Amino acid sequence: MKTLILLVLLLQTPEDQNRRCLLCHGKKDFGIVENGKFKSLYVNYDNLKSSVHKKFTCVTCHNDVRVIPHLIKPKKIHCLQCHFAGNVVGAPVEEMPEKYKESIHAKAKREGKKAPECYDCHGIHNVRPPDDTLSTVYKENIPSTCGKCHTKEKGSYEISIHWQGIKKGILESAVCNDCHREHDILPPDDPRSTLNPRNVVHTCEKCHANVQIMKKTGVPIKQVEAFKESFHGIALEFGVLKAANCTSCHRYHDILPSTDPRSPIHPDNLAETCGKCHPNASQNVAKGKVHILPEEKEAGIVYYVYTFFKIFTFTVILGLVIHIILDLFGQFRRRRYGKK
Amino acid sequence: MGKNDFEEKIIEEIENEEEIKFDEKLREKIKKEIKEKYKKEIKKIKREIEKKRKKKEKEEEEYFIRFSLNIRLQHFILAVGVLILIITGLPIKFHEAMWAKIILKIMGGIQVSRILHRVGASLLFIVSVWHMLYIIFTREGRREFIELLPRPKDIMDFIQNIKYFLGLVNEKPKFGRFSYIEKFDYWAVYWGMVIMLGSGTILWFHNFFLGVLPKFILDIAKEVHSDEAMLATLAIVIWHWYNAHFNPEVFPFNPTIFTGKIPKERMLKEHPLEYEKIMKEKSKK
Repeated sequence: MKTLILLVLLLQTPEDQNRRCLLCHGKKDFGIVENGKFKSLYVNYDNLKSSVHKKFTCVTCHNDVRVIPHLIKPKKIHCLQCHFAGNVVGAPVEEMPEKYKESIHAKAKREGKKAPECYDCHGIHNVRPPDDTLSTVYKENIPSTCGKCHTKEKGSYEISIHWQGIKKGILESAVCNDCHREHDILPPDDPRSTLNPRNVVHTCEKCHANVQIMKKTGVPIKQVEAFKESFHGIALEFGVLKAANCTSCHRYHDILPSTDPRSPIHPDNLAETCGKCHPNASQNVAKGKVHILPEEKEAGIVYYVYTFFKIFTFTVILGLVIHIILDLFGQFRRRRYGKK
Repeated sequence: MGKNDFEEKIIEEIENEEEIKFDEKLREKIKKEIKEKYKKEIKKIKREIEKKRKKKEKEEEEYFIRFSLNIRLQHFILAVGVLILIITGLPIKFHEAMWAKIILKIMGGIQVSRILHRVGASLLFIVSVWHMLYIIFTREGRREFIELLPRPKDIMDFIQNIKYFLGLVNEKPKFGRFSYIEKFDYWAVYWGMVIMLGSGTILWFHNFFLGVLPKFILDIAKEVHSDEAMLATLAIVIWHWYNAHFNPEVFPFNPTIFTGKIPKERMLKEHPLEYEKIMKEKSKK
């Protein structure tokens, strides 16, 4: 009997097989009343047909449906049914599910709180690959996907220069997951988190030290490097976490360039921004340049000081070393030839 | 007991031990040899005692006091301060290097090293105020300061010294109390102190200065502090340590600045004019 069913199943295309399900689930008003509320059980089959799972039948995932029509409510399915190492259906297995288990989302879920699972971000029937423009995890769509729950953050993000970049078609601009990561999202107080003070610089550096991306957007490339040479950067490097990192001054979701009056790094707002840590900061903090290495000509007077000292130090030390060498040379010669 | 008895006793002892008898001739010979042996030893010991006595005399007699306790203390505090500053400062400048991370770790992290750096800075500050008071208000200080002032002779000395190094002349320049090399060291400290204490003060009290000075002044202070630190460190390690300690003439260590004493021999070689002056003053008395 089993082999017969298998044979029949094999001869049919997924669409043939799914037709039987869609007899009911294909109707738009199909549904049941559960806990006094109407629950739609309609499935938009076009979604499934254009998803990564188009080759599969409904019962591949809903594998507890043996008889159609089914009389009992099928169990909730889980992606790990197939996406586990050693699965036979050929479902791609990456480290993502494992990473997800570490995340704050999974932790909240384990504690019984409301938190997203795979399908909350990837979609249910309409799972599409990330490079598909209709995918929920397509770069441009990620803010709306995360924003389903994180509405405040989404609103804040959407005024940022990063979102402006995305809208201009510069898809290298950062969206949620570029900073937060995707599966292993961790809270900032976790030392492994990309948002932990000791990791923030590295997180921003991924793009802000990337020549190609920065060229495209016209942002100076050496800013992160210059930051690392600053007292803030060095203090952070050696574990002084109260030292300012990128987000301390630039904020995070609503990052804006210094030319924007809403930006905390706009010259008019700098006194207040620096004042968060340095109580006496005045308008004076705007009189100077930030994130520029002394060896860059744009550094202005600092560049000239640096250049002066470079030449001065070289000349002085060279002179002293020559004096020493001549002294040694003279002593050696006199000793050797016994001259007085 | 006469001397002969002593030798006799030794021979008897040997005879008893070996159970044989020496004849008279052999006895005489052995006696003679023993005598000669211990006479030689006694002479040697006497010579050694004499040598030690002479050396001690020489030490006591032929040393000059080159630096007063006041100068020695100033130098000591300055040296300790500078060493602390170099050890705690350079790892910040070269924070990416492995050795810098190791040194910082040994010190107990950047939060400890910055406190130590300020301790060093305070020593430097104290010694500069002290030195200013010393050269203004003490007779000794004023005299030393006048000796340290550059004069045309220093240039002549420098030229002659270079010629001497090259073997063009056979006579070393005759230095007075301070050679041009020592004067260079002294005046270089002024340059370094003004820059390092000036920029360091801005960096130390940055929270105050942030409100008073435009940011670019603080940027300059940081740059200057870092650059001058490098110059000073190189000058001290290469130049000052070579001339004062590692020079083959005094290698490996010249204790004069710590003990204040300089032997006559080195005095004659390194500061002949001062030697002459001291001798003249002594003979006048």
